[in-house]
Amino acid sequence: MPVEELSDGIFRINVDDREMLATKNLMSGISVYGERLIVEEDVEYRQWDPNRSKLGAMVLKNFEIPLHYDSAVLYLGAASGTTVSHVSDILRDGLVYAVEFSPRTMRDLLQLCDQRPNIIPILADANKPQSYAHIVEKVDVIFQDVAQPNQAEIAAINSKYFLEQHGHLMLSIKSRSIDTVASPKRIFKEEVQKLETGFDVEFEVLQRKELDPFHEDHLGLVARMFVDDEE
Amino acid sequence: MQESGQGAALQDLDLRQAAIDSCFVELDEEYDILLREVCIRAAKSRISSNDTDDRRIIQAVQALDDIDRNSNELSERLLEWYGAYFPELELTGEPLARFVSTFGSRANVPESHPIFVKASMSMGSELSFADEELLRTFALNLCSLYDTRRHIESYIVKAMGSLAPNLSDIAGALLGARLISMAGSLQKLASFPSSTVQVIGAHRALFKHLRGNTPPPKHGIIFNNVVIKNAPWWQRGKLARSFASKISLAARTDFYTGKRDPSIRENMDKKLNAIRTANPSPPKRESKPTGKPGSRGKSRNKKGGRR
Ligand SMILES: C[S@@+](CC[C@H](N)C(=O)[O-])C[C@H]1O[C@@H](n2cnc3c(N)ncnc32)[C@H](O)[C@@H]1O
Repeated sequence: MPVEELSDGIFRINVDDREMLATKNLMSGISVYGERLIVEEDVEYRQWDPNRSKLGAMVLKNFEIPLHYDSAVLYLGAASGTTVSHVSDILRDGLVYAVEFSPRTMRDLLQLCDQRPNIIPILADANKPQSYAHIVEKVDVIFQDVAQPNQAEIAAINSKYFLEQHGHLMLSIKSRSIDTVASPKRIFKEEVQKLETGFDVEFEVLQRKELDPFHEDHLGLVARMFVDDEE
Repeated sequence: MQESGQGAALQDLDLRQAAIDSCFVELDEEYDILLREVCIRAAKSRISSNDTDDRRIIQAVQALDDIDRNSNELSERLLEWYGAYFPELELTGEPLARFVSTFGSRANVPESHPIFVKASMSMGSELSFADEELLRTFALNLCSLYDTRRHIESYIVKAMGSLAPNLSDIAGALLGARLISMAGSLQKLASFPSSTVQVIGAHRALFKHLRGNTPPPKHGIIFNNVVIKNAPWWQRGKLARSFASKISLAARTDFYTGKRDPSIRENMDKKLNAIRTANPSPPKRESKPTGKPGSRGKSRNKKGGRR
């Protein structure tokens, strides 16, 4: 079978005997960052390069991806939108709030938003969720790829503000942005511990795996927010 | 997604509910579309406000440097190239470029021109028509670089007049712009202590000093100002310190009030004159630093010896 749907909106396609990851192009005919467009049985797909996307790498590392056609997603660290464009493809009936704090990068992201009706751009610092709390509503998934030393904390406060009760947190942790010399394994362990017990929201880590060979010294992680049922 | 709209907003204000209650929008979908448009517009306007006056000035300062680098290189080429045809012509830089673009071959210099005799007696070789055309175009391009440079300079002067009138007053628009460029922004320049302002642009001398083998630099690019450049050497350090502190004050006034305050300039002129009259002649003993018994001289000697 040349096309297989691995998870909602995420496909594995066989082209010329090569397997590739792809999403169904929401804006047909338009390639976002130079990726290949493939037509298979009258449907256009965009190739998804796992080397350029932590989320793409997580798919290939067999993570269970909690994204669905109608999910609402808060994406922290959207950059120029390489991965956001694929999330936008996946969420054909949902929407993604794309938070990025570098104005120069936001300029590129805005071009993407102009084309795609399900992306809401937010120029803001993910450390300050209160600055976009009037815009963002409850979301099903928070995806975070900010490469900051306090990434666990950023994930926790944003979850507290915006994550649905049993919502999922997807995190890419880059060890070198936390400590350039310490061993990545140790850093990952500490970050996971922080998420599990370090904040006033707690997470149950469902899956964690390093993202090599696509991204060296990166840990991918999917967690579910714990909620006190007494509340 | 619809469901997500019903989740209680954490902020005091539930915008979606408010918009629907006030009949600003009727449907959830309308709110979604509106929200997206507003967010795009808000991000765009914040990005363009990020393209501030000081960024534009910094670009212009860097463009000046680019032009200088290029025009120096091109004018050296022209000198060497044209020199074969008219070695007696003692022009360089812009005058040379103007000359070549106007006349091309020295045979075209009219009798009325002061250079005529030299031109007709030259031992240079003859210019073929093709070479003449080429050299003329080359020179013409160089001239237009010089024109652009002047254009940029006047742009900077104008832009600085509105962004940083006091800094322009004190340091001159071009030096002021260069200080902003090296600091990164007017805000950063305004936040520097004046001792830093004094040595902006003196990286090499500063690092050398920090490594311990030289005295601290007395002045960075502010040395380019005539106040310091033309002063006798024994006044320069004092003038530079005072000049730097006024530059700091001017930058802060520009950043925080944006209004021109002539008293900064007046005070500076008074201060500088006082320094000049208090130090009319070179200090005699300090003119031979090694002979001076002061602790500084000694320790410097020691270090020098160890190395
Ligand atoms: C590694 S890149 C993200 C790449 C992107 N996820 C992709 O795959 O296309 C990290 C991005 O996060 C942004 N970032 C870092 N800290 C941030 C913060 N505190 N708030 C918002 N964005 C941040 C950076 O500007 C950068 O664009």
